[in-house]
Amino acid sequence: MIARIGAAVFALVLLYPLSALFAHIGAWQWDAAVRGPALLSVRVSLVLTTAAMLIVVAIGTPMAAYIAQCKAMERLLWQAAMLIPILVPPLALGILFTLAFGPYGSVGRLLNRWGVAMTNSASAFVATQVYVGMGYFVLGAVAALDAVPPMLQKQAALLGLTPIKVFFRVTLPLARLGLAVALSIAWVRAVGEFGAVVVTAYYPSGMPVQLWVDLQSFGLPAVMPLLVIFLAVALPLPWLAHVLAQRRSYV
Amino acid sequence: MFDAEFTKHRRDFAVRFSLRLGAAQSVGLFGASGAGKSTVLACIAGVEQPDDGHIDLGNLRLFPPSLPLHQRRVGYLTQEPSLFPHLSVRENVTFGVPKHEMPDPECVSWIATLRERLKLAPLWDASAAHISGGQARRVALARMLARKPPLVLLDEPFAGLDRQLVRELIDDLIFWSRTVGFSMIAVDHQSEVLMRLCPESAIVLERGQVVQHGTWSDLRRAPATPLLRSLLAPV
Repeated sequence: MIARIGAAVFALVLLYPLSALFAHIGAWQWDAAVRGPALLSVRVSLVLTTAAMLIVVAIGTPMAAYIAQCKAMERLLWQAAMLIPILVPPLALGILFTLAFGPYGSVGRLLNRWGVAMTNSASAFVATQVYVGMGYFVLGAVAALDAVPPMLQKQAALLGLTPIKVFFRVTLPLARLGLAVALSIAWVRAVGEFGAVVVTAYYPSGMPVQLWVDLQSFGLPAVMPLLVIFLAVALPLPWLAHVLAQRRSYV
Repeated sequence: MFDAEFTKHRRDFAVRFSLRLGAAQSVGLFGASGAGKSTVLACIAGVEQPDDGHIDLGNLRLFPPSLPLHQRRVGYLTQEPSLFPHLSVRENVTFGVPKHEMPDPECVSWIATLRERLKLAPLWDASAAHISGGQARRVALARMLARKPPLVLLDEPFAGLDRQLVRELIDDLIFWSRTVGFSMIAVDHQSEVLMRLCPESAIVLERGQVVQHGTWSDLRRAPATPLLRSLLAPV
């Protein structure tokens, strides 16, 4: 009983910051000066993060499938590589990204020649989010694929299915919840990214950058409406994916 | 015709195995736990790789080089039924049957026979994740046989099933082996089960070596080793 009370207190403390949504800071500001850029930032975040996640899934899933079937040493090598973009501090990642893909880097100059600007552009925004979210998705996806019993895949192959059919008919359906959790983590990480994006793509401003701009320009009352939208966009789907995944483990 | 001679080095000893088996013939692999029986089946199935030798199934060379699992045309029933839990019983049974063969009347009739004989009709649309262990074994057997593989490998397929069901399954397997024409290599630690399932001949393995190959009456009359004598002795 004491342990349960302790756990409840711990959970309450952890969730306490959310109560600030009801803090007395005066009337929330939602006039034209705030509303226009805020709604634009919601659109930018949703559209461009969705594009980034499509790229993450398209590239990250085969990569995870490859890593999942690697032997121990090679797997360690790939996983170590995937960890680096996760562990680099976001601001540092943004600066490095700008130097590598901006006008100072050879790749950036090449892209510029092809008309792809990698600073303050939609492509810079999407690319940064791909970098930020890819490691989380791949590592999570590897764990999800590892959880599929290898004997099921072998049985499917012995029943005449080619490796690609085994992946789509057995591996993917059995790993789908784990993959959804991996994607939700990548989504949360990307949609909430501020440090790297503020360097690489101040424009077009996504929600985190717009929140920062509003806080600087108008103060807390102007931030609150966008903050609520931000939480509504970022939290429910990943939260539900995690809860479902946990529930499936225990029932 | 199945023809194999191969070696597989394990951590504790090397498994050396050779066998020639005609169509619709059967052989039982017998021996104590850990003698290498399951390793032999795993090598033939392709889930483990032999270190040298060859394995041929008719005109198909299974090893070397190791033929991909989906091209081997080998049915492999392990102790764990390994059903696909996200599919129904029906979907499990028909899993390996190519879609273009499904409307074929012969295929429809064969699936119906399996469903009938293995008593799967009441659970046909149930989720494979929610059936009992005995039911799962029957589904796994039906799934393996649905493709009519020319060679069937059975690794203790009846462990934990009641005697009546085991007798029925053995009778069905023997009948189908003769009518469909598949060969069987079976492993079981119970000599009675193997004798019934593979009455023609047995191979005895001890620490990976074939110590005797003959009929069951040969084995009973003159067991090659003291261990085999004790394994064959009535409980």
